[in-house]
Amino acid sequence: MISLVVVFPLVYSLWMSFADVNLLRTTGPALELFGLSIPLFRYVGAQNYVRLLADPLYWDSFWRTAYFVGAFVLETAVVGLGMALVLQERFLGRPLMRSLLLIPWSLSRIVVGLLWIGLLDVEFGALNGLLYRAGLIDSYISFLKSGFSALNVLVSVYMWNQAPFATLLLLAGMQSIPTEVYMAAEVDGAGYWQRLRYVTLPALRGILFLVLVVSTVNGFLMLDLIYILTMGGPGNETTTISWLGFQTAFQFFKFGPGTAILYTLTVLCLLLTVVYHKVVFRKLDAEQI
Amino acid sequence: MKPGALERRAGRTLVYALLVVVTLWLVGPFIWLFVTSISYQRNLLARPLALVPPEVTLDNYRMVLGMVRFHAEGQAAKILPSMLNSLVVATAVTVVNLTVGTTAGYAYARFRVPMKTFSLFALLFTRMLPTVVLIPAYFLLFKALGLQNTLTGLVLAYCSFTLPFTIWIMKAYFETIPADLDKSALVDGCNRLQAYYRVVLPVSGPGLVAAGAFTFMLCWNEFIVAQILNTKLGTTTLPPVIAGMNAQINIDYSVIASSGFLSALPAVLLVLCFQKYLVQGLTTGSVKG
Repeated sequence: MISLVVVFPLVYSLWMSFADVNLLRTTGPALELFGLSIPLFRYVGAQNYVRLLADPLYWDSFWRTAYFVGAFVLETAVVGLGMALVLQERFLGRPLMRSLLLIPWSLSRIVVGLLWIGLLDVEFGALNGLLYRAGLIDSYISFLKSGFSALNVLVSVYMWNQAPFATLLLLAGMQSIPTEVYMAAEVDGAGYWQRLRYVTLPALRGILFLVLVVSTVNGFLMLDLIYILTMGGPGNETTTISWLGFQTAFQFFKFGPGTAILYTLTVLCLLLTVVYHKVVFRKLDAEQI
Repeated sequence: MKPGALERRAGRTLVYALLVVVTLWLVGPFIWLFVTSISYQRNLLARPLALVPPEVTLDNYRMVLGMVRFHAEGQAAKILPSMLNSLVVATAVTVVNLTVGTTAGYAYARFRVPMKTFSLFALLFTRMLPTVVLIPAYFLLFKALGLQNTLTGLVLAYCSFTLPFTIWIMKAYFETIPADLDKSALVDGCNRLQAYYRVVLPVSGPGLVAAGAFTFMLCWNEFIVAQILNTKLGTTTLPPVIAGMNAQINIDYSVIASSGFLSALPAVLLVLCFQKYLVQGLTTGSVKG
């Protein structure tokens, strides 16, 4: 069942990336399946890929994606770990705080984008309002106007949405560290930072790695926030590979080149899955022994 | 840190200060969305910006819910029907996941499935796959099947994205239930299916709740697939409608904010209600692979 609804579309998409897809002319060679005729279009070989790899726009998007993913993974890991360390302390209302963690994560990315527009907008943004009140700025800043600043806004907003989940995973990991280890470290005279450096972080290594892999994949795939916040603009300055593929396929309706772009992403994700798989299964084996 | 960490008073103050920062970071933007949704746009544009709205109004909600006429009511009037569509789709997908996905998860946890490692890898890959690469294929397949612009098509597409998650979460959960439980049921004369339905499922409540709430949340929030597959008026779900409102220049932000808040509320409440199970289910699912 799963193979039917996932594998078949996957293969069909792969086929399209090697074809000249004309959505207006769906006659011609077709795959007859259960009485359905599924258009096959004209096979053009690796032409879509060749053009793609010669397109400077693709490479611009590629490097931009690399920056986006790098910055996103770094911010998510740092903020996620930071929040986990704060929430791991003993304080009143700890269960409540853990619920609050889920709020940014449970919002639709459309709403996430929408509420950050409310904070960052050049006319009615609350952050601008705050800075203006505090006398730090003389006029409201347009955070999405310049490409680089817009890209960084995307990174941070996505991080706001995703870091809480990393925090949840890290908190779960911290809870599995036996208290005795900390007591022993304290008896040995280890201060807060030493305990963090020599007890907590080594114990969290596996989960941290998991967080890194998952956020790398999520970073590569991010699409809906770009849609609501920048649409890839100004110009093409926030166009990542996934946005370029989406735009090519669904705004310009060029399914052939579009699926080719998206397939380069898929291959990247496949590689990351191999890594994740290895780590997860090595961990499982270790637990079973 | 574990008990005993940061005992000094300065440390406590620091912890509470950091907690305030984390809380503001997590819920501040969401609360601001609510504040804007009960404000008039003119007060949001005022400088200096008032952090406590000088006038409180429900007008935005009245507009969105079609209780008063205003210039962009055509756009806003889609909120309630699309909310119903979201509800139908998310519920249907959740039901399918809880029946099919759970059973498959049980099979993976208990039986020697042929090519287990390979199919688990395939499952993981599906989880990490850029779903957008499948959409061109769905687009053409659904066109051939007549499923474009139908809720059935959306349910089918969402099932293919969510089932891998559910199987993964439930597999991890079933592995925490001792296999001896099933064995004793088998000894008492149940067959496999009865052992599963009568003995294992009743003790799997937390896992089921986690998988169900997570699936519902994913479907409720999904944007890209709904945006592309269901373009016809009245056939789509909430996120595309809100994104569409946001793209219109003649609708006040405060009005869009109220629809954004309305659309966010169900998912947030659901996640907060089931947070205990959700966190448990998701962390065992991810940490243990």
